[in-house]
Amino acid sequence: MANSLVTALPHPEDQDLIDRIIGDQAGRPGALLGILEKLQDHNPHKYLPMETLEYVAARTGVPQSQVYGVATFYALFNLEPQGTHTVAICRGTACHTRGSRALLERVKLQLGLQEASDGADKLTLTTPDRHFTIRTVACFGQCALAPVVEVDHAIRGHVKEQALMREVDALRKERAR
Amino acid sequence: MTEKVKVRIDGEVIAATPGQTILEVARANNKYIPALCYMEGLSAVGACRLCMVEVSGVARLLPACTTPVQEGLAVVTSSPQLQSHRKIALELLFAERNHVCAVCVSSGHCELQALAQDHGVTHVRYPYNYPRLTVDTTHPRYVLDHNRCVLCSRCVRTCAEIEGAHVWDIAGRGIHSRLVSELQRPWGEATTCTSCGKCVQACPTGAMAEKGWGVEEMTKQPAVLSRLTSMREGQ
Repeated sequence: MANSLVTALPHPEDQDLIDRIIGDQAGRPGALLGILEKLQDHNPHKYLPMETLEYVAARTGVPQSQVYGVATFYALFNLEPQGTHTVAICRGTACHTRGSRALLERVKLQLGLQEASDGADKLTLTTPDRHFTIRTVACFGQCALAPVVEVDHAIRGHVKEQALMREVDALRKERAR
Repeated sequence: MTEKVKVRIDGEVIAATPGQTILEVARANNKYIPALCYMEGLSAVGACRLCMVEVSGVARLLPACTTPVQEGLAVVTSSPQLQSHRKIALELLFAERNHVCAVCVSSGHCELQALAQDHGVTHVRYPYNYPRLTVDTTHPRYVLDHNRCVLCSRCVRTCAEIEGAHVWDIAGRGIHSRLVSELQRPWGEATTCTSCGKCVQACPTGAMAEKGWGVEEMTKQPAVLSRLTSMREGQ
């Protein structure tokens, strides 16, 4: 294998896991997507570390640049560690007119997060203690419920600032216990 | 010999081989269709949208570089509508990045600049995006300036298809797309790069250049790369 090119290896146990996942998908066209998705799912912080991408490239024979291209093209892949709880705020047109920007600003303030100035469409911010990740979404397809916020994969409609703050607070206290 | 199909390009009847694209047939018969991302010898991706043509019976415009010819196809390569579309496509390319010809190594030998002159782009009707972009000077012999990149992906395909190294690819999506080497490693640290310089020769603008050249001094020979492919096919 082209292992000589690998500059940093994942943990040996992770290597086994990656090898197994690649083995399951081997040879199928478009296997890379499935491999990356499974690997992210198995990661405790739900992200794809650089070493993992490098290892996948070496094992599958897909060029590193192509692996990186796929991992950055799809919004579902994270290259940074994610928080335990995810708050996804819709920034679609309907939700925007119903005040989703205020919701976003409020949660950012509450968690003490600051926007990185890279100007990406997709905003993903994680608190330093990795307890919360807040992200923006283009549209959930639930515009009648605007503004929509997804808290840990549960959709909430007609969200008000106070209600959202209470919810985030509850999740915060959960950790304190 | 496979059977020929008859196509009409700007009214002239031309015999073409099935499987050829409209652009290939047109170029082989001295019919000019502008293109930026197309390079002879590389796969076609239809990214720049400059080779759009009118095909009779099809309501929308089709890219000549990826549309195969069919019996009885009638193509118009130039019309006021097409000229206006191509001009818009060029203006959007200029608005997207920081193209400043006055300080560019490729000025005077730049395909984007030449196309803009051909199409009478005297100004850009859209507000400039002015993205904050980096210049990668880590390679000992070459330099990559993202400000001048048009994302035609000719370097990507040259490296993958001709050199076989596949150092480059496009990362991200939409306006945030960027050319990356490997896992966004600096070019000089890329482990698969053979420093052959083919990507530099394929680049239509000054985004990739050899070090040591001043303004207007960098000339390129993409035709050499195309010849390389045709010679390999002949073997």
